[in-house]
Amino acid sequence: MANSLSISNVEAGYGSVRVLHDVTINVGGGETVVLLGSNGNGKSTLIKCITGLVEPDSGEIIFETDGEKINLIGKSPEDIVDLGIAMVPEGRRLFPALTVEENLTLGAYRPAARAKLDENLEFVYGAFPRLLERRNQLAGSMSGGEQQMVAIARSMMSDPKILLVDEPSVGLAPILVSQTIAKIKELQEQRNLTILMAEQNFNQAIKIADRGYIIVHGQIEFEGADAAALENNEMIKQYYLGA
Amino acid sequence: MDASLFLNAIAAGILLGGFYAAVALGLSIVFGQLDIVNIAHPAFIVAGSYLVFALNGGFGLDPVIAGILLMPIFFAVGVFVYRVYYAAFERTGRESLAGLAFFFGLMFVIEVLFIIFYGVDYRLVEADYIGKQIEIGLVGIPWRMLVPFCAALVMTGAIYLFMSRTFLGRAILAVSQDRLALQLMGADPVKIKQIAFGIGIATAALAGALLIMIGPVEPTIGRLYIGRIFAIIVLGGMGSIPGTLVAALIIGLSESIVTTYIGPSWAPTVAFGFLLITLAVRPQGLFGRL
Repeated sequence: MANSLSISNVEAGYGSVRVLHDVTINVGGGETVVLLGSNGNGKSTLIKCITGLVEPDSGEIIFETDGEKINLIGKSPEDIVDLGIAMVPEGRRLFPALTVEENLTLGAYRPAARAKLDENLEFVYGAFPRLLERRNQLAGSMSGGEQQMVAIARSMMSDPKILLVDEPSVGLAPILVSQTIAKIKELQEQRNLTILMAEQNFNQAIKIADRGYIIVHGQIEFEGADAAALENNEMIKQYYLGA
Repeated sequence: MDASLFLNAIAAGILLGGFYAAVALGLSIVFGQLDIVNIAHPAFIVAGSYLVFALNGGFGLDPVIAGILLMPIFFAVGVFVYRVYYAAFERTGRESLAGLAFFFGLMFVIEVLFIIFYGVDYRLVEADYIGKQIEIGLVGIPWRMLVPFCAALVMTGAIYLFMSRTFLGRAILAVSQDRLALQLMGADPVKIKQIAFGIGIATAALAGALLIMIGPVEPTIGRLYIGRIFAIIVLGGMGSIPGTLVAALIIGLSESIVTTYIGPSWAPTVAFGFLLITLAVRPQGLFGRL
């Protein structure tokens, strides 16, 4: 089960504003890789390049699954989702006027996931029992923490091989941030997922990271081979810990 | 009070309401769920009436069968109209005013086309059962009202099942709420809207058949329905299919009672009265979700 992503020399931006400069990162099969950086450094843009929401100006994004290599650049978001790449977007982006269950069911839109709808619904309700209790509630009327559960559960409904998580901590109370991060790890282990998570909450993110990158002004400034390497890095002390 | 008069008013109101549901259904999808102000929807219904008239007169086809046969063609026309609308207005974000003008113009074009081909005279269809009625006690139920009522219920039920039970239907419910999120579910929002618009216009084919069964049709008769349709959609709750049916029944019943006891000239005020009250008291409508 090798589902990996290799992003090489990606340059991207919006109009004349350059956001990513020569970004190269790898996410190996079954790994949880974190992309650390504060606001406005290009984390979300990189995630959007992978899902096809932003088209890079140059570079390569290769998705390798079961020995097959697929270049994602130029593909539509729909085609990329079809390949088994799911994204939990920043700010959750639920369908507010649909119920929890309708949101989850839409997560299984891609043809490969439709056949497993019941099985995956049972799995996410097992992982998030609160959502089972609230299945008929409108997503827009739920608390931030519950909405984040729906967003993560909805992405799992597509039966992903690779899960991209963009800023899961935004807008959540600290206790909910650590619960959310722990839940992502739990899902990774249960489903043997390959995860790339963009996050600015350094302390929470490295709890579940196998490896990580630090992105500053659109460039990868540091690659940490494990959580300890990230934790002991001078730049992190400088940017995050105020040392 | 005359019991027979009252019971007949109720029966006629329910039958009329069912027919109104068929008329409002397409716009309930297009306006209620896609946020596209297709003011030409009644003109598409009248186009359905005239084509049913042609099939009925030319081949002796039953009006309901003719309406159903026209649905795929109307679907294709709807897909085409949405593509033009998308490329010209929605893609560049100019849909609110320019889009409204587009549909207003489309309405005139459709009306004028039928004036050119058929003139301004009233047209009607023929079927064995039109003109007959069933007597149940004091109440007389004309077939020309009962058949449209049943056809409308079946069409509304089918659309409701499609929207709530299929992946495509649920994507249509979601598309105007967050199109980026829908892309992340693996659906192309433009394709989804195109299909939904096509379905909305397809319902106009059958609604047109029902319209010309209920009474004679002339090219601009659709204008009588514009206000009523919007009132039904708002009262029912934007985009809610069950809401559209319930609101249509309420307005049909109220109009029938007003017509019977106050006078037919007051009937058009009913829909606008409900529209005003809904907007003031419960702007999300009866079945509105948020």
